[in-house]
Amino acid sequence: MQKLLLFVDKISTFVGHAFSFLIVALTLHVAWEVFRRYALDSPRAWAFDVMIMFYGTLFMMAGAYTLAKNGHVRGDILYGFFRPRTQATIDLVLYIVFFLPGVLALTYAGYFYAAESWAIKESSNITSEGPPYYPFKTVIPVAGAFVLMQGIVEIIRCILCLKSGTWPSREEDVEEVDVEKLKEELHVKDEDIQKLDEYVVHKEPAK
Amino acid sequence: MKLRKELWFGFSLMAIIIVAVVAFMPWGGLIDGHLSKQDLGYLGMLMLALIVVAIMLGFPTAFTLMGMGVFFAWLAYRSVNPALAGQQVFDAMVHRTYGVMSNDVLIAIPLFLFMGYLVERAQLVDRLFRSLHLATSRLPGSLAVATIVTCAIFATATGIVGAVVTLMGLLAFPAMLKAGYNVKIAAGAVTAGGCLGILIPPSVLLIVYGATAGVSVVQLYAGAFFPGMMLASLYVGYIIVLAKWKPALMPPLTESEQRVPLPAFAQTLSQRGSNALAGTWRALTGSGAGVAKPAALGQLIVSLVPAIAIAALLGVTYRVTTAPVAEVSAAGLVGVLGGLAESAAEETEASTGVIGAPEADEEGVKEPGEEEKPEELSAAPAAEEEKLAETKPAETKPAVAVEAERLPAPAWFWVMLVIGSAAIVLIYWLWNWERLEVFKLLLTSFFPLALLILAVLGSIVFGLATPAEAAAVGAFGGFVLVAIYRFIGQWRASPPASRKVGTLILRTAKEFGGIIKESSFLTARTSAMVCWLFVGSGIFSAAFALLGGQDLVEKWVLSLNLTSVQFLILAQVIIFLLGWPLEWTEIIIIFMPIFIPLLPHFNVDPLFFGILVALNLQTAFLSPPVAMAAFYLKGVSPPHVTLNAIFAGMMPFMGWQIVAMVIFYTWPQLGLWLPSVLYGR
Repeated sequence: MQKLLLFVDKISTFVGHAFSFLIVALTLHVAWEVFRRYALDSPRAWAFDVMIMFYGTLFMMAGAYTLAKNGHVRGDILYGFFRPRTQATIDLVLYIVFFLPGVLALTYAGYFYAAESWAIKESSNITSEGPPYYPFKTVIPVAGAFVLMQGIVEIIRCILCLKSGTWPSREEDVEEVDVEKLKEELHVKDEDIQKLDEYVVHKEPAK
Repeated sequence: MKLRKELWFGFSLMAIIIVAVVAFMPWGGLIDGHLSKQDLGYLGMLMLALIVVAIMLGFPTAFTLMGMGVFFAWLAYRSVNPALAGQQVFDAMVHRTYGVMSNDVLIAIPLFLFMGYLVERAQLVDRLFRSLHLATSRLPGSLAVATIVTCAIFATATGIVGAVVTLMGLLAFPAMLKAGYNVKIAAGAVTAGGCLGILIPPSVLLIVYGATAGVSVVQLYAGAFFPGMMLASLYVGYIIVLAKWKPALMPPLTESEQRVPLPAFAQTLSQRGSNALAGTWRALTGSGAGVAKPAALGQLIVSLVPAIAIAALLGVTYRVTTAPVAEVSAAGLVGVLGGLAESAAEETEASTGVIGAPEADEEGVKEPGEEEKPEELSAAPAAEEEKLAETKPAETKPAVAVEAERLPAPAWFWVMLVIGSAAIVLIYWLWNWERLEVFKLLLTSFFPLALLILAVLGSIVFGLATPAEAAAVGAFGGFVLVAIYRFIGQWRASPPASRKVGTLILRTAKEFGGIIKESSFLTARTSAMVCWLFVGSGIFSAAFALLGGQDLVEKWVLSLNLTSVQFLILAQVIIFLLGWPLEWTEIIIIFMPIFIPLLPHFNVDPLFFGILVALNLQTAFLSPPVAMAAFYLKGVSPPHVTLNAIFAGMMPFMGWQIVAMVIFYTWPQLGLWLPSVLYGR
């Protein structure tokens, strides 16, 4: 079971990683476009459409990845104090009550939304003769499906946690604040931090 | 036992809300599906109460919003037409989602995040801190001052509170403790400084606010700049005064710590005169003994940078101000050229890196008071006219013909010229070897970053690029910074004997790839977090509006008969309280749509309100017991630095944040002056 869960995690992560490189493409695309506009005096009409598509695809497709890494923002005021079993109970109930209806609605509605767009081969409404928009709209149901899949995995995780009392493991990923790595980069060692204590303790009586 | 107490508190809060909800719920109407308008309004309030409970339970907020939004939107539609309700909910859902996906304001978020992650990984914070520390070493409380300034600059460029606090906790905090600083003050400086990044533009918070409230991000940036600077200078002023008043808290550095280490040639030269400019000149013209001429020439060029910068600034100002006003296209052209010069300066910095960051940044640093204001005043009409010029780019040629009949320069220009020349004389009068070294250090750390920020902000504020475009250029600048600083890092790390440029470049490229990868992943995750929150709140706020909850809130607030001051205070207190259990993203995305429609009733400018909120949310990071900044600092501080000491250290800074809010409330021009000059609000 754990293997299957980690496998789905890996799929979500892989998709998220693959699409996250769109940010590099977006940066280069926009920077180049700005350069073209001011230095070469030849802006391209479709540039804005492409910008929007890169950005929309980027964050939608990263949704499942973020879920797999537990990266969606939570109100952490009480949650952190609960025991894992309590956490799992709350999560399990709310996944079923909130997550499933919401994401199912998104995926289902997105499917028909995209299908309509495909049917008329919709293109941009910002520029005339603009780029096609139906692939972009397809992102909604696809991203919804990935999030749904990851959500089901999370539900299973909750059940496993209810049984065993501990959270099943997750794969590691880059951390926003990776303390160990920052320490290494600044050449700070744990001993140094420990040593600093004398300055603190030494001063306490003086105060 | 303490945990229990917190849980009890949370649960009782939830219980109160739920009991209230059960009591007020229109049960009868719910069951047969026919709800009166008033019932629906109550349902809206119920939804709002439930969302607070659900968020406190700790489920990912984006999905809570989505699920609740779908359910309540369905209820609202069902009361009108049960047959169509399902389809309508699906339509609303997908349209709201697509609205977020094609939002041209939110697009700047991933780009600014990317820029932040890149700059954070450029390994320049330690140089920045060291050089600023040396530059401020004569001030009282110099280390704390340097900490705040470093934080302000670095946090502005990165915008990631956790990373900035952790980095400064590893770098500045030990330095301050070793110098005998009071633990509380050291902790306060690090945490308060680290939070400045969410206020000083370019910040993601202001984009999120702009997108939710429908306020122009450009104007928000222009408006938040001076209040942000004001908050930073309040911190610095507080530290300087405190250090003068109670030197025991922040003992001044010893002479040896203040001394700047001089390179060998500078030592030989400094024995024959303390003025660096004269010294290098003498060395160059022949009488210098034991110093290579190319080295001396390099030093001379570096020494001349401030003079060149001031001269260039004066020259550009002269061109802009004397450009004939009648010829709209010519003035516009100068405006465009000025902008190009700005971005070109950024490119120069990109290509030459170490010493290449000269001209444009001087304006912000050397003579902020005297020179910047006239420059902005004069550039403002130019920026406006530039739009006209863009519409008729063919008329570039008249600009040449016009050269002959320039306008006479206004009086203030000559005043500026005198001040500028005086500044040059003063700078070179004081230009000794230590200052040259400090200046060189600043040139490689402070100025590139300041230039990047000013270029990004400048191009947004003067209308040369949209926030998204400027963010992309900024992220590109981040690429360049990472490449250069990592290369320098490799260069320094490798022993001089076995240095091969090829292998170094290869190693840097490898490192560069890794950094890009990491930064992209983090960007994807964080922007997914923020934007999915928008997706969820899209359907949620649609349901809230459908149920008429907004009307009810509005009626209720208006029935309180508040004056606009009372309303502002009430709103800020509510936001402050919300900042305790919630993150700023949630507060802005979920609760701002409720406040914003109330603003016109009380004649409050949404721009003004936004900056006030941004100032307010600074406190959210610092108010115990959930102050994120404190936990990040605790994570890297020695074990005897207690969380309580950190909290105690943050308190005075929180006080200053409130003072800043009061000041801003009393003199709103502080924030609204720049947007009004630039955009004629």
